[in-house]
Amino acid sequence: MQVRQPINKGARRSAREYVVCRQEDLPPGRMVIAPVGKFGVGVYNVHGILYAINNYCPHMGGPLCSGNVYGTNLWDDVRGRAEHVLDGRIARCPWHAWEIDVATGVSVADARKRTRTYDVRVENGEVVLTR
Amino acid sequence: MSGLLIDAAVQPFCRDGREIYDYMDEVNRDRGFPDVESQWYQAPGGDYDESLYGKGYPGSDPEIASRHLFEDDGVDVAILNPRTRGNLPDFQLNTAVCSASNRWLAHRWLDEGNPHGRFRGTIRVNPEDVPGSVAEIERWGDHPLMVQVGVPLQSRDLYGRPRFYPIWAAAAEAGLPICISTNGGAGLEYPPTPTGHARTYSQYIAFMAYNYVYHLLNILTEPLFKEVPGAVFVFSDGGAEQLTPFIWKLDTLWLGVRDQTPWVDRPPSEYLKDHVRLGFSRLDKPPGDSVPIVDWLAQTGKEDVVMYASNYPFWWRNHPDDLYEGTTKEQTEKVRWRNAGEVYRGVTAEAA
Amino acid sequence: MSTIEVSGSDRTRTKEVDVRWVDADVHPLPHPGDGFLGYAPDGWRDRLAPRGHEISGVSARILDQPEANKAPTGKVDSYSPRGGPACSDPQFAAQQLLVETGMDIGILLPMGRDHRNPDYEHALKTTVNNWLADIWLDQHNQHRRWRGSISVTNREPELAAREIERWAGHPMMVQVLMSPQRPAYAFGDPKLDPIYEAAARHRLPVATHLMANLPYENSIKPVGVGGHFSDYISAWGLILASHLMSLVFDGAFDRHPTLKVVFVEGGFLWVLPLMWRMDAIWEARRSELPWVKRRPSEYVRDQVYFTTQPLDDVDTREEIAFTRWLDMAANLIFATDYPHWTYDDPKWALRRLPKELHPRIQHENATELYGLPQTVPALPGA
Repeated sequence: MQVRQPINKGARRSAREYVVCRQEDLPPGRMVIAPVGKFGVGVYNVHGILYAINNYCPHMGGPLCSGNVYGTNLWDDVRGRAEHVLDGRIARCPWHAWEIDVATGVSVADARKRTRTYDVRVENGEVVLTR
Repeated sequence: MSGLLIDAAVQPFCRDGREIYDYMDEVNRDRGFPDVESQWYQAPGGDYDESLYGKGYPGSDPEIASRHLFEDDGVDVAILNPRTRGNLPDFQLNTAVCSASNRWLAHRWLDEGNPHGRFRGTIRVNPEDVPGSVAEIERWGDHPLMVQVGVPLQSRDLYGRPRFYPIWAAAAEAGLPICISTNGGAGLEYPPTPTGHARTYSQYIAFMAYNYVYHLLNILTEPLFKEVPGAVFVFSDGGAEQLTPFIWKLDTLWLGVRDQTPWVDRPPSEYLKDHVRLGFSRLDKPPGDSVPIVDWLAQTGKEDVVMYASNYPFWWRNHPDDLYEGTTKEQTEKVRWRNAGEVYRGVTAEAA
Repeated sequence: MSTIEVSGSDRTRTKEVDVRWVDADVHPLPHPGDGFLGYAPDGWRDRLAPRGHEISGVSARILDQPEANKAPTGKVDSYSPRGGPACSDPQFAAQQLLVETGMDIGILLPMGRDHRNPDYEHALKTTVNNWLADIWLDQHNQHRRWRGSISVTNREPELAAREIERWAGHPMMVQVLMSPQRPAYAFGDPKLDPIYEAAARHRLPVATHLMANLPYENSIKPVGVGGHFSDYISAWGLILASHLMSLVFDGAFDRHPTLKVVFVEGGFLWVLPLMWRMDAIWEARRSELPWVKRRPSEYVRDQVYFTTQPLDDVDTREEIAFTRWLDMAANLIFATDYPHWTYDDPKWALRRLPKELHPRIQHENATELYGLPQTVPALPGA
């Protein structure tokens, strides 16, 4: 299944590094898919912190990063009630709505299920992804 | 044979439909309500094992039942669960019927009829009357031979719903599991299948075994175990053969809609061992050697939740040997007594 | 999006490819541009007013699927740039399901269109059939990859039988489709005989599928209704289990020995223990069931089919072991459930199904049951 999200036109910098975009092109709340690897890599700006995960759902291999981004609901044992947390950090796969934390690549429901994460940083105003 | 044998489902009867009135409180003694034998889907020819029809209802004489269960079948402890009247529209009358059932059982079966000390009882409550149920559990909770709380399978709402939690909390507080089982002359109830009233007794009885699935899936989906962590549910009518297909469905869907039920913080199937038990009879298992029984019992932990259930005195009554062919020694022990011993207080020590 | 043309031109023979995958569960919906109400029977057009959610596009289900607020009708990536609900654009659906996912033939099962009033429901089903035949089976079926279902109301069996007769000769209509969930009749009820007689006469299987969990399409379940999407839908197979028991115990398979029934998207693992229990009860109570001449499991194996989707996300080896115990090579048919969020990807599904069953499940059972061709015209990019 092809990735429907427009793929950002970045540039390969070295065998291990890839320039995804200019920093200002990835403001908080946005995501771009870098054409790295077989499926692409989703690079997220969550409240100013950058994360990158493989655009590949650990479930059926759906295009994980082309779905919607949310927070999630977790039970708070101390308060004894559900809380809405991790706002902007949860990618939901467009196929089966699995929730993946973009900071860790781990499924919220089942920590044994995870997708690959990548190091990403800002250098000289550019977003640089390490494969 | 592998140690003890605990029978998790025996149904005691009154000698006849009038006996229960002797135990009704004065306020309700002149009321009328359906006999527990007013079974709308009675089996043609009768619900009970033909060989058990004698003077009274089958299962109405503690001495005869003792002989069948303890001498003939080698049962060590039998858990008695009388049927009550389901949901009567008049909730206070229904609670009074449950109270009478508890007084009758304590007197006739747990005291008079229990010289061997092998009978255990069920505190029947009316789930439509939450405070009345809580009071009834508090009244009987200390009785050393009452080992569970009983409610009708035929409910008007699924038992995972919060309005029932005070009852489940009172049971958990008293260290008692909650047994959900089919009532006989049930009162108000919905059609017994999701496609309406069955046209044949065969469909009725086949499908009734599966209605526990609705309760089970709901119990595993609502915030119940966060609110009442000690609650344990026993589905004594069985239906274990459908546990794996439906628990797999719930585990699967939960992965996608977990955020709608955040209190379920692990795969629902992982709650089974600590919180659920199922009666186990010959109708609940693969016939003959059609599938490898050891693997089948191990799948989704069925071996950790099923308990021997004779269903005495019904026509599908089991004998213990019906269940163990081909199982491992460990599985046999779990079915015979270990799984029951984990949820019923005092049943393993006293019977030993 | 450009039209998907069949490869080749007028002068050359169209290239054909072997049918290797049949998808037995695809859910088209009307596009706003289709003029759906124009397909209503005489006198009904003005009465079939769209309901609120059909105008607003919000979810109307009383138990909501994930992200129902953003994607009320399908998985998030299945919406066409042409707008409309998921799978309302036949060209986009063909691109996604036939070209990219590689399905060779898709069986279309329109959902919804149940109604409280039986005559109204019949009018809606008729409208759906007219629309499906025109838009999906004619206008956008140059590739001859889509097959249709004749939607009928089982609350008016005589009207339903007439509707089957109306479409029986249509080369692209391959089955009858009726709702399992309205409080009408259990499937074995003799009142449904006109439907089964018409279907069997024309060798059309009768399929059933969840129609929607809209408020009026639900009945109260025997001990109460599930409180959340997960427990409600997990228990869904029980409705089909009850219909299957009724078909057997009420003698429908005896009365209609050539009838084929297809249970779509309701699971299939529960069928194995259901057969154990039905057989055991039949053994014990045969004298009460003189019209059930054979062992219940024999009817199931001879006359009932189950689609595979949704497979469970559980230990793959355990799932395969269970499916082997089921031993129903001739009764399982692959389906994706496109465009719904419980979609099964074919490559993922194959890993969860016993290898020796793959050809039967992928296409052989479906092509035999539905009388489908062995080859279809090639598509560009497929």
